[in-house]
Amino acid sequence: MSDRSSFKQDLLGAIPSLRAFAMSLSQNADKADDLVQETLVKAWDKQTSFQPGTNLKAWVFTILRNEFYSQMRKRGREVQDSDGLITARMAVHPSQPGSMDLKDFRAALEKLPEDQREAIILIGASGFSYEEAAEICDCAVGTIKSRVSRARTRLQEILSVSGEGDYGPDAIASQVMGSTAA
Amino acid sequence: MKSNTATAMGSQNKGANGSEPLGSNSEIGRKLKQYYDDLISDDVPDRFADLLKKLEDSETNSPASDGGK
Repeated sequence: MSDRSSFKQDLLGAIPSLRAFAMSLSQNADKADDLVQETLVKAWDKQTSFQPGTNLKAWVFTILRNEFYSQMRKRGREVQDSDGLITARMAVHPSQPGSMDLKDFRAALEKLPEDQREAIILIGASGFSYEEAAEICDCAVGTIKSRVSRARTRLQEILSVSGEGDYGPDAIASQVMGSTAA
Repeated sequence: MKSNTATAMGSQNKGANGSEPLGSNSEIGRKLKQYYDDLISDDVPDRFADLLKKLEDSETNSPASDGGK
């Protein structure tokens, strides 16, 4: 019993992150919340397969991700949802470098292929390690690294962020690519 | 190249709460965080807590074969 209720508490605690991840994947609030709901039901049903002490957040992220892709397959690739289109239209041109705002960023993120978007979100925002992200996405660590790297390059292009010159490109690039700098 | 890059990176790498590969030294990294934090801080609708409550109740009310014993 107490196992159950602590499991439930943990799930509750994971909801904000799950919703953020779901939004990042689906780019649509309604779909995101449906995804989260589906994920919670699945997680609950599968709770015996969760190993206490392991990373619950990674576990539920995996479930959510699988759910996202299976729904996408079922629906076939729909035309971008209307929300997405609106955001894209508002995307405008990041006028001056440095003035990029969140709206521009969101629109840029939306243009990335899902695999790159999820990779950069997991690594750059959700705080997962490359190993964890690889497990969540069921792929090799190197694959995650190259997706993150491509995503980052693409975002920079879209947003025309001036190079990383000022920020120390080598550090980032080498971290992303595995360590060239060692 | 800059010779201090590697060392700088090394220490950065061991950031307290997990390394930040798209760290605060990159504009993209910062925006990414901002984007995500924005999503995370969104209010969670009650439906999710309700759902979990329902799931929990349905189990306690009908003792499953693996539950009781």
